[in-house]
Amino acid sequence: MRRIALPIAAAALVALLALVLVNVVRPGQPPTRAQSAAAIAAELRCPDCQSLSVADSHTASAIEIRRQIDELLGSGSSSDAVRQHFVDRYGEWILLAPRSPVAWALPFGVVAAGVALLLIWLRPRTAADGGETVSAEAAESEQLRRVRDEAEALDA
Amino acid sequence: MRYLRWLLVPIVVVPLTLLLFHGFGRDPREIPSPLIGKPAPSFSLAALDGTRLTAAQLHGRPYVLNFWASWCIPGCVDEHPVLLEAERRYGADVQIVGVVYNDSPAAARTFLDRYGDGGWPQLSDEGGRLAVEYGVTGPPETYFVDATGIVRGKQFGPLTMAAMDDRFAALLAARAAQ
Repeated sequence: MRRIALPIAAAALVALLALVLVNVVRPGQPPTRAQSAAAIAAELRCPDCQSLSVADSHTASAIEIRRQIDELLGSGSSSDAVRQHFVDRYGEWILLAPRSPVAWALPFGVVAAGVALLLIWLRPRTAADGGETVSAEAAESEQLRRVRDEAEALDA
Repeated sequence: MRYLRWLLVPIVVVPLTLLLFHGFGRDPREIPSPLIGKPAPSFSLAALDGTRLTAAQLHGRPYVLNFWASWCIPGCVDEHPVLLEAERRYGADVQIVGVVYNDSPAAARTFLDRYGDGGWPQLSDEGGRLAVEYGVTGPPETYFVDATGIVRGKQFGPLTMAAMDDRFAALLAARAAQ
């Protein structure tokens, strides 16, 4: 029994290693033309529809853009060159994700500024604000004194 | 600290108000064309009357490319009389060219019979290749090309009488300056 188990275990280990190796190596291979075309189409905005990518739409413009992507890739253009081809015609509007790093950083910047403002706002009162506290107390005692005066006036 | 609090009002509220004022004052679909100042895309297309027109044939004369469709209501219907008037006023100096966008030639013909045919060429852009070359997002859209073949302007949405006069005058001024 043990004589059979050892070769089986070895074979299983080799198969597992081969499987891992294939899966590690495969992503390194360049995508096919169809894969590149599909990836670019998914990143481009369909010009004549609302909030759809070129890959998800069946309008005349989307079909024509998909045809041009395929044609450009076929003539040896890189994916970046194909994207630029459409940016040159439609402007950066055609890209579903903005290229400018500012656009990505801005929301985080706004949230950070908001948190900073809130912290300043909620900070415990310091000595500089002491005057306000005293004046509030003074105002209260002033009011108390007036109420007491009125009560005494009524009693009299 | 107390002064800072009051300073927050102008620091935060004023720019935010200006940003919103700017943002709501414009049409989010109106995209500035990257083609302005660049050579106009070339084309060779069949017109509805069966003749063929190329961009090269138009060279030496300013032209106006108007993308439209019979289903584009009310934009193209409202714009049509403006184009007819433009042809009357500027037709001698500027060539108007219609491009039928994503529409059948028969439907385009019916539209012209109904609202008036100005007589300028009406190109059939089957498949929308020229529309993609120009970066058209929806009709009506109009591109102004000078005599040397450089795109000088883009009208997003229907031309009004006032906009039409300004656009054509600017195009002719560009020609006079050369």
